[in-house]
Amino acid sequence: MKIALMGNPNVGKSTVFNVLTGSNQQVGNWAGKTVERKSGIIHRANEDIELIDLPGTYSLTAYSQEEIVTREYILREKPDVVMAMVDASNIERNLYLVLQILELAPRVVIGLNMMDLAKSAGITIHSNKLALALNVPVVEIVAAKEQGIEEFLTEAIRVGKLKKDPLSDDIPYPEELENRIQAMERLLADTIWATKYPLRWLAIKRLEQDPEIGQTWKSIPHTNQRNKNPDPCCDPGDPVKYELQESVTLPGDALLQAYEAEGWTKDHFEMAVADAKYQYISKILPEFRIHENPVKRTWTDRLDEWILSPFWGYPIMIVILSLVFWFSFVASAPLGGAVSEAMAWAADVIVAIMQWGHMPDVIQSLVRDGIFAGVGAVLAFVPQIAIFFAFFSLMQDSGYLARAAFLGDRFMQLMGLHGKSFFSLVSGFGCNVPGIMATRTLEDPKDRLITMLINPLIPCVPRLGVMSAVVAAFFPGSRGAVIMVSLLLLSMLLVMFSALLLRRVVKQKERSAFVMELPLYHMPTMRNILFPTWQKTYSFLKRAWTFILVASIVVWVLSSYPQGASMNATWAGKMGGWLAFIGQPLGFDWRIMVAIVFGFTAKETTLSTLGILYGVAADASQSIAQAMTGAMTPLGAYTFLVVYMLYIPCLASVVTTYKESRSLGWTSFGVAYNLILSFIIGWLIFHGGQVLGFQ
Amino acid sequence: MERFLQDLKPGERARVERIEGGGALRRRMMDMGIVPGVEIEVVRYAPLGGPLQIRLKGYYLAMRRGECAKIMVCVPRQESSLAVV
Repeated sequence: MKIALMGNPNVGKSTVFNVLTGSNQQVGNWAGKTVERKSGIIHRANEDIELIDLPGTYSLTAYSQEEIVTREYILREKPDVVMAMVDASNIERNLYLVLQILELAPRVVIGLNMMDLAKSAGITIHSNKLALALNVPVVEIVAAKEQGIEEFLTEAIRVGKLKKDPLSDDIPYPEELENRIQAMERLLADTIWATKYPLRWLAIKRLEQDPEIGQTWKSIPHTNQRNKNPDPCCDPGDPVKYELQESVTLPGDALLQAYEAEGWTKDHFEMAVADAKYQYISKILPEFRIHENPVKRTWTDRLDEWILSPFWGYPIMIVILSLVFWFSFVASAPLGGAVSEAMAWAADVIVAIMQWGHMPDVIQSLVRDGIFAGVGAVLAFVPQIAIFFAFFSLMQDSGYLARAAFLGDRFMQLMGLHGKSFFSLVSGFGCNVPGIMATRTLEDPKDRLITMLINPLIPCVPRLGVMSAVVAAFFPGSRGAVIMVSLLLLSMLLVMFSALLLRRVVKQKERSAFVMELPLYHMPTMRNILFPTWQKTYSFLKRAWTFILVASIVVWVLSSYPQGASMNATWAGKMGGWLAFIGQPLGFDWRIMVAIVFGFTAKETTLSTLGILYGVAADASQSIAQAMTGAMTPLGAYTFLVVYMLYIPCLASVVTTYKESRSLGWTSFGVAYNLILSFIIGWLIFHGGQVLGFQ
Repeated sequence: MERFLQDLKPGERARVERIEGGGALRRRMMDMGIVPGVEIEVVRYAPLGGPLQIRLKGYYLAMRRGECAKIMVCVPRQESSLAVV
């Protein structure tokens, strides 16, 4: 039996899904989309049930990627039962989706959630009367307390096992619309294709001239796909792929033209159908909902008075974001340090074993300086990323993230971006990897792509660390602060410029709308925070480790061959020498170029590379920076800082961009854009500075 | 009295008359419950010319001013003075 879980965003669907499937779930992406696909097999009543968690949507039109995925699943896969989750505190809009589901799927069970939230807002819903009004079974659940979930499933299974589809009432449409729907129904009734879907739904979609009507899709069998070792947590699932099998021309073109002449265009039909559904909901609403004192101020009203206040809104946001950053990227430092030390210790142990086994020195060095050092450098960031993800889930689930998007939208508008991009960009100051991953909350794929590509221009915590060490050495005292601020302003300016530029490069048919729900605040459950945190961290590691391993080995080979050579004579050193001609116009010597080449894996290594090249202890950042002062003018140092801040942040961010954009082309574009932009700006600053008489 | 939604002051309520323009934006608004006849209250404006927070059907929505300028509303005469809650 196949059961699909559907509902609006923020309705508690994932809680229900997590409780029912436990750890027995597969998380991946929908074929060709970056929308998460979650499914799980559960055993009930001597049967294997495939439960699929469809993305949260407001309707079944094809507005966002989430809606396309949901609709295609319902149309093409035809689940046996749909478990429709409904938010009792916001029942009118939630029922709009339920009515659409009811027209399309004959077997539906409603799970009524958030009754407590509704109660605090003065709303009482009588679930038995709701069931009567819609003629659909309704189960009350408290997802956060894991109550009623099993009953919800039992009811779905019962409905799934019925011999005949239960009859649900048709939505009564106003007469002039109803007549037109029925005329279309009569025309379609004789087509063989039409037997696949409920006739009434088909007639409405035909009138709305829905492109998918008339198409038959075939799912490509699993065996063609590479899915050799399914992983219990985060294997990419089995993305169901479809191909168009045939396209049937349905009757009714003449009728559609006749209606159009009467003023009933497809837009008009869409509006009339939507309107009729809302009218119907308003009509039946008093049968099951009692709303006492609708103007009573709720908790959300009171909190929003502060959080969204024109005066306090931004200070509160800065405090919240600072706390998140402090916990994720500063307070977590000992954890990261512990990971590095553990890696170093493990490397020592393994090397000791190798020595005992008389392994060649090359292999020992590969293991210690290549694999363990390289992978360890990336692993040290994992605690930061995990803690950040936990806060991200907390903010998303509690409802704060939407508020941050509301407050940040003004700035994003200047860049032609969506309010939700704000959070991704702010996250970039912590670490670009979660920043890029946070673009998943954006509905429009083009907005996502642009946000993803400009994110690396934002200096992350490790880069800021290196930058401040260099600034302190070259520009002591209060001048340092001015220099640092000027660098940050430059990065923001370039982020803005790049967003506007990319807006022209990335073709976009229609500007995405900023119509965003501000959900009621509520306390998320521990499970809802820790589960996604674990999944995201694990999938980051799983995706990145092969790349990081390979890259670490490559860097080790480049930097240690020919064997025994000094750093400038190694292959990487020579590369720096060859690249010196690029650095020359910017006043960089070969050492800086070598450091830039090495910085590609992880930029925080730049200082230690420079330390080796300048012949100072590799672990004292102050002394390295001091050594640099002898070799560079302040203007040269400033140019270096600019280039350093702007070129590709690290290998992990490039890998993440590739995984999130699913496009090698755009990833290469991003890398090239970063490199070219950083050197152009560096050149401008170096020569502009010289003209202005700086040294 | 017909006005655009973006011209309403915080606390004012109005009934939706029609939505101008078409395409994805209008469909999106319909999905969120903005259809003719629905009562909308402007709760607040984000600072610096940012989006509007509006309330309809008992929930909150954020929309940009440009999008609100596509929604033609009708303010009931007597109610507009009482609506400040």
